[in-house]
Amino acid sequence: MTKQLVALRVNRRLHELAIESSWLLLDTLREQLQLTGSKRGCDDSSCGACTVLVDGIPMLACTLLAASCEGREITTIEGVTEHGALAAIQKAYGDWGGAQCGFCTPGFIMTVKHLLATTPKPSEEKIREALSSNLCRCTGYSQMYEAIKAAVEAEQKGLAGDEKNAPSRT
Amino acid sequence: MTVKPFQLLCPRELSDALATLEKHSGNIRVLAGGTDLLPSMRQRLFEPEYVLDIRQLREIQGIRLTEQGIEIGAFTTLHAIENSDELKRSYPLLVEAAKTVASPVIRNMATIGGNVCLDTRCLWYNQSLSWRKSCGFCIKKDGNICHVAPGGTKCWAAFSADTPPALLCLQAEIEIRNASSSRRVTLEKFYTGEGDNYRRLQPDELVTHIFLPRGSALYGGAYRKLRIRGSIDYPLAAVAVALKRKNGDFEDLRIAITAVNPAPLLVAGVQSLVNRAMTRERMAEEIAELAARTAKPLTTSALTPEYRREIIRVFTKRAVLEAAAD
Amino acid sequence: MSDFSVVGKPIPMIDAAAKTTGAGKYTDDLSLPGLLIGKILHSPHPHARIRHIDISRALELDGVVAVVTGADAPNPYGILPVGHDEHALALDKVRYVGDNLACVAAEDSRAAERALELIDVDYDILPAYFDPEESMKAERDLIHENKPHNLEKDYHHVFGNPAQGFAQADCTVEGRFIANEVTHAAMEPHSTLATFDLDPVTGNIGRLTVWSSTQVPYYLQHKLSLVLDLPMSQIRVIKPLVGGGFGGKSEVIPLEIIAAIAARKARRPVKITYTREEVCWAHRGRPRTIIDLKTGATSDGRLTAVEARVIQDGGAYCSYGVVTILYSGALLGALYDIANLQYDGYRVLTNKPACGAMRGHGTVNVRFAFESQLDEIAAKLNLDPAEIRRQNLLRPPAITVNGLRVQSYGLPECIEKVVERSGWAERKGRLGKGRGLGLACSHYVSGAANSIIRSDMPHSTVNIKIDRDGGVVVYTGASEIGQGSDTMTSQIAAEVLGCLLSRVKVVAADTDLTPIDIGSYSSRVTFMAGNATLRAAQEVKRQIASAAAQKMGCAPEELIFRDDLVFRRDAQRGVPRLEGEPSGENPSRQRSRGRTHEQANTSQASVAGRVEGQILRGSLQQKRKEDLTPKDFMTFEEAVVAAIDFHGALTGTGSYAPPAAARGGKYKGAGVGPSPAYSYSAQVAEVSVDEETGQVTVHKVWAAHDCGRALNPVAVEGQVIGSVWMGMGQALTEEMIWKDGLLMNPGLLEYRSPSAAESPQVEAIIVESVDPEGPFGAKECSEGALAATIPAISNAIYDAVGIRLHEAPFSPERVLAALRAKKAAKPLNLTEGVDPTRPTRFREHGGALCFKQKGPERHELDASRAR
Repeated sequence: MTKQLVALRVNRRLHELAIESSWLLLDTLREQLQLTGSKRGCDDSSCGACTVLVDGIPMLACTLLAASCEGREITTIEGVTEHGALAAIQKAYGDWGGAQCGFCTPGFIMTVKHLLATTPKPSEEKIREALSSNLCRCTGYSQMYEAIKAAVEAEQKGLAGDEKNAPSRT
Repeated sequence: MTVKPFQLLCPRELSDALATLEKHSGNIRVLAGGTDLLPSMRQRLFEPEYVLDIRQLREIQGIRLTEQGIEIGAFTTLHAIENSDELKRSYPLLVEAAKTVASPVIRNMATIGGNVCLDTRCLWYNQSLSWRKSCGFCIKKDGNICHVAPGGTKCWAAFSADTPPALLCLQAEIEIRNASSSRRVTLEKFYTGEGDNYRRLQPDELVTHIFLPRGSALYGGAYRKLRIRGSIDYPLAAVAVALKRKNGDFEDLRIAITAVNPAPLLVAGVQSLVNRAMTRERMAEEIAELAARTAKPLTTSALTPEYRREIIRVFTKRAVLEAAAD
Repeated sequence: MSDFSVVGKPIPMIDAAAKTTGAGKYTDDLSLPGLLIGKILHSPHPHARIRHIDISRALELDGVVAVVTGADAPNPYGILPVGHDEHALALDKVRYVGDNLACVAAEDSRAAERALELIDVDYDILPAYFDPEESMKAERDLIHENKPHNLEKDYHHVFGNPAQGFAQADCTVEGRFIANEVTHAAMEPHSTLATFDLDPVTGNIGRLTVWSSTQVPYYLQHKLSLVLDLPMSQIRVIKPLVGGGFGGKSEVIPLEIIAAIAARKARRPVKITYTREEVCWAHRGRPRTIIDLKTGATSDGRLTAVEARVIQDGGAYCSYGVVTILYSGALLGALYDIANLQYDGYRVLTNKPACGAMRGHGTVNVRFAFESQLDEIAAKLNLDPAEIRRQNLLRPPAITVNGLRVQSYGLPECIEKVVERSGWAERKGRLGKGRGLGLACSHYVSGAANSIIRSDMPHSTVNIKIDRDGGVVVYTGASEIGQGSDTMTSQIAAEVLGCLLSRVKVVAADTDLTPIDIGSYSSRVTFMAGNATLRAAQEVKRQIASAAAQKMGCAPEELIFRDDLVFRRDAQRGVPRLEGEPSGENPSRQRSRGRTHEQANTSQASVAGRVEGQILRGSLQQKRKEDLTPKDFMTFEEAVVAAIDFHGALTGTGSYAPPAAARGGKYKGAGVGPSPAYSYSAQVAEVSVDEETGQVTVHKVWAAHDCGRALNPVAVEGQVIGSVWMGMGQALTEEMIWKDGLLMNPGLLEYRSPSAAESPQVEAIIVESVDPEGPFGAKECSEGALAATIPAISNAIYDAVGIRLHEAPFSPERVLAALRAKKAAKPLNLTEGVDPTRPTRFREHGGALCFKQKGPERHELDASRAR
């Protein structure tokens, strides 16, 4: 099959790629751009490990054609780190045991990033609903709730990373 | 498995899209949200030479208030449906059903048109190519046996979308277009009841719009879905109830079921059971019995057919009582 | 707790950032120049003899570099020395749908997949066996010729005098329990990348390097050596990040060997990554199990005898099966005091994917039966379920009737804690219609005292090297698979050496670099690799102490290593106390509700403190340059420099082998079950049951777990919660659905691992019994809790609605069937003819594979044809 030139905007950088129409966004990210943070965990669009943001909206990279994404802004886990430092949610997932084996973590981070962008102070129910798009096999999700609450507090105080003023949780 | 190579066509105009469909008729698949088509293509259930990506067709996107009711473009995401203030106000049943589809991320991608057109599902069919080889294939794809009803010649794959029962209750119509003409049919007429050839759509046709009539606005209702997990899962049985009341009486009651037949079905004869001299509880039970008799679940999914039929009964009764209590 | 500075603190995993940023590499994330993709051809038949495989058409396809079949590597292997019954690619027979036939290595996935279609295989179809009780009757067409009646192994153990015990019982209950099959479903599908170096002398294929998603890199090295006829010294196995194992990567999986065979033939690097369906076929999960259980008790609830007959549907290969069937019997002991025990275990071969080890290996299904039956007895005797368990506690130190040594035993406290936290006394039986509480207990080994390779070598060895700048490098073969093994290792090293956690670097699981560790399975890593780390660190510490003591003019025993300083015990008051965070603990992470663990005071810790500390240390060193006679203390770096100057290189080695006293009895099969220490768990589950639909909701689980000592409370809680949650999955939503040898749900859409939507709050309560032999008293925490969850939920369902389920999972159809039977409602065939309160056999999915002349080719004696 002949390839076509596609301009993909990923993590604020434009990439011109020669790809086949049938290539999935996930394979293209992983194999053409070496952005291996997005994972393949299933083959039936059920696990969410490949979640990326497309124009700010979480979607499954395994369920999108790369060629269909031309002209859209794609953000992968590699684009979440802020100025080379951990984003609040990344740090909180580490601190609170939100990541064990870590394979599902990038997908969860993308889902949660969108949740916090649209709902800065989510209720527990809202968090649970958002997390229900992604499967995790290690944590039972419990410690993720703690991580998200911690990230919300850190974000709200604008003090992500400033441990001196980190909230004490009681 | 990788997707078999195809040529991707991404027209910007509906007319171009329809011309393309006509040109490659029979050898082309329409890609909307992709949440069913792409996994199916990876299982080699579909191997078209062309794929028509309709994402850029503005004409079939969005929710619009019209004289006759509401018009929803087929390429409107379920996320947009569940968050539409207009739909929440006028057609809450549709919103409730849309909210139960798969997971939030899937609903960011999946469209209402795709949900209406969702391929029927079966554990013997939605499997990889190598898996299907091991079962000798089935009537829906490449084989000559229906493993869930082996004596017959019919495919019993279950129609497993959540929004169509709500749409049926709301007497939705759909607009279907090809390059030269346009037709409008009630959704009820769209489904055939056959698992393999499950919808009345010609190869050159596209579902472009869904219409909710004004007459169905402000119906109360409830959608009850059987699933094992609280997210991700397709329905294993589900029922939608729409109710219009007048002075406390049931003026109009409509019930539809899904995931238990090869088509979503309006339960016939419901209206004849309402407003008779019996308790509301008793009436709900009789209606539930009717719904359960309409359901013909087979072993197409997890949970046994008898259980799924029983759940249609329980959920119908509950949904009727709940709608009545609103 | 405050005696420690690093241990006992909730410390983020040392590899957390690699995981939260996506920068960490798992095997499938790796690539090499010239990389080929391998795809495997799987059998469509459950049982067939291979007449002929023709690969010629596949080889002609553009992009195909090599095609390998069984003939390319004919040596058999298996994880157990007694079970070498597998071939990476089938030689003469295929034994399950999904068995491995051939592998294509090609330039890309698409070419490899197309080539698979061009491989022609000629079969003689054989009758297949799917039900273990049917399989045991087989006289012909055996799955393995050397296993009569398709019986992999059976054991018959009698301890004490069961007949006498039952004679003493006031109440005897017996029944059949069935637990259906579950699989690990780790989020990362298995992946292996293999490549050969060229030998500089001969120019031929030389050393092999394999990156693989494995829990057992050294076993992989050993099996690769067997199959490829290559010395182990010529094989390097590297374990990158692993995306979850749960036992599914605790043995050698076919793709790991196939990738190496293909790389050898192709002379190029080959990577194989399983599809999710292939992961299900590789399986090695928890076998579906029949448990015929009989328990006797006196009227006050003392157990007098237990008799269990267990049949496991092991699938087509031995895998860990012999160990699994032994664990099922052995771990009837060591939880309660049972004087008389009879066990008959049958591991049966069937034409299905092989079962193996899964979290709670061998104990989970029997524990479901036992703890359910215990509640049945309690109900008959009118005893509180907590009380009957208290009546049967061990009195450690003890040796159980089947030879297991129990030292630390936190079960009584676990029971008290969950009873208290759940409000058991006030709430049980009073939650109203359809809601209830259930209690159950479980336990697990902290590593097996006898390794499966039957050698006297240590189970874990750890090397430590310290450089002049005070950097500590720990070399361990232990495999981090998400459970926190690397973090545990660094904590123990830092605690012993009294240095900052940030000084410690862990190099793990690379057979060229790290000493042997037998792997991450049977919850052995904290206890065994932890003890080895402790000993290696102590050895290095001794060297530092001797040099530092000389400098400071005191005896080495007088020195204390702490807070990145080495100081004289009597001089503590004069030592500048470093502000800040010696432990590396994250101060923002003080725990919220549900915390039962005493926390060290960390409020003074801060980044600012850490910076001040560094400045202070710097100024101390500056000062030291002026004052050459340290009297009271040295910084860690100074002490290290002194030691290197004195000893030369600064390295230490520690190893761990379980003590003879912990290795169990002498009878046949006595090797499985003994452990140096057992963890204990007690749980209360609160559920509600919808009586019209049979749907069960778990609202909360209180889980108290005795882990000896929580080296890292956040990690311990994570492991306990994860175990409970996985147990909940097996209790409610997870089940491998079979039909005539076909797995009907080989994907994450239909194999339903719970989502966040229905996952309850789990309150983990840490109990610390401080084991005399564990590192700082620690035992396992990653598996033991799982087994209690299933019966706790079952017992709670009984409390809620009065039905006693004998078949797991408690799917809504099964629950509703039992509810309707109890109410004597009109019977509906909700469960394909299997009564979930009195199951007699495994249930198959409905429908038909074959009908008249239609369907796949199957032997006429095959069960699918018989119906």
